[in-house]
Amino acid sequence: MIDCDVHNNWSSADVLLPYLPAAFREYMERGELPGGRGSFPAAHRPWLHPEDFKRTDATPPGGGAAGSDHAFMCEQLLDRYSIDHAILNGEEAIEVSTLANPYYAQALASAYNDWVQDEWLARDERLLASLVVAPQDPAGAAAEIRRLGGHPRFAQVLVSSGSQRPYGDPFYHPIWDACAEVGLPLAVHLGGNAGVNSMPTGCGPPTFFWEAHALLCETGMGHVASAIAHGVFERWAGARLVLVECGIAWLPAILWRLDEDYRALRKETPWLRRLPSEYAHDHIRLTTQPLELPRNPAALWPSLDDIGGRDMLMFASDYPHWDFDDPVFVRVPPEWREQVMDGNARTLYALPQPVGAHDERR
Amino acid sequence: MTSGADSGRRHVVCAAAELAPGERRIVEVGGRSIGVFNVHGRFYALHNGCPHKGGALCAGRIGGTVVPTGGRSFVYGREGEILRCSRHGWEFEIATGRALADPRVRARTYPVSVEDGRVVVTV
Repeated sequence: MIDCDVHNNWSSADVLLPYLPAAFREYMERGELPGGRGSFPAAHRPWLHPEDFKRTDATPPGGGAAGSDHAFMCEQLLDRYSIDHAILNGEEAIEVSTLANPYYAQALASAYNDWVQDEWLARDERLLASLVVAPQDPAGAAAEIRRLGGHPRFAQVLVSSGSQRPYGDPFYHPIWDACAEVGLPLAVHLGGNAGVNSMPTGCGPPTFFWEAHALLCETGMGHVASAIAHGVFERWAGARLVLVECGIAWLPAILWRLDEDYRALRKETPWLRRLPSEYAHDHIRLTTQPLELPRNPAALWPSLDDIGGRDMLMFASDYPHWDFDDPVFVRVPPEWREQVMDGNARTLYALPQPVGAHDERR
Repeated sequence: MTSGADSGRRHVVCAAAELAPGERRIVEVGGRSIGVFNVHGRFYALHNGCPHKGGALCAGRIGGTVVPTGGRSFVYGREGEILRCSRHGWEFEIATGRALADPRVRARTYPVSVEDGRVVVTV
């Protein structure tokens, strides 16, 4: 089993200080921080979780923040569910996208990428990390992708779903170019819905945390449409877009709509040669958590099957967050399970087959 | 512990004086994990597996909540009566096991009595 969304945390953002260049270390040491000393410099989304967004049973017994203790992560997640590989997406690092200063943002992302190697990847062979970049600085992001993208334990490049514009926009093409050069997918994780980024819903900001959380999937729709329409998957044939925590139930409806409108207005985007749903099937992957739960759980799957969802979905738990999906309880149809819980991620991230898998298939 | 054919297996949890109002104790009875609670002097027992997705319900925070008002006032009440699952944070009424947001969802409850100063749960 592969868990495609695990949040490794720190108890204080001061862990980044040794990894920051002197010019920006002072910003964190002496400069203004939104949450006081030890907090991470980023703008906060305007919806505050009224109970905190961590599982209360995930606080390590020895203290510290949920997700900050590797041994406890093993006990509650990796060992408990026999997870072969987990993709670490950090906790606050993707929020660098909210900062107006793109250079400070990129320095923080780079510091995180060095810290995650030392503090997490070095501890456990099962762990893979996402390479966090500041998308508001495409040239700086591309340089960071080239700096570390060849490291075998970085599985993908990661940005927040909150953005200044959708990620297919030519503004971001230096990032896609660098991803293609190092052969990594670009992953988009829910977050960054603050600061310089656009509000995630077109009719104005929602009011309450649960209301907003259910709607933030809208950002995923925008990135899917943009990457397809701008021809990212024509220009870089190996490009892969991964949506993390952006929901999955909406995907068939959006692809059906894109296909129909493209058929009529193909002339707007003459660089495209296939239907949007065909690009999506071959180039876009989505993680399952939080898996939508219809009144009849079986109702989720027929529409996903229509667009080839079995090849596109990858299990994620979102440990240690409040909306964690338990791999044992998650309702994936038996005939989808091998691909969704393991195979699709193993192929995307070019991970070796599990020991014994070959024999089992004979 | 005696065992009655009609009432199930009886298990002494602790002396009633050892479980003060607001406190809980999580015990293993017959292979089941059960949370026993003292809410304002009355004792209740809930299955320690959340009916939502199996989290450790009884290890969650005990407190009050914002009560339904039917209007735009926010009234905090029911202090000590509400248990919030440690996994996903669903709220349950300790006395009945019912989920506040959807009373059709219910955590299993067990009868509790105080006999000779001892808290006894029947499973």
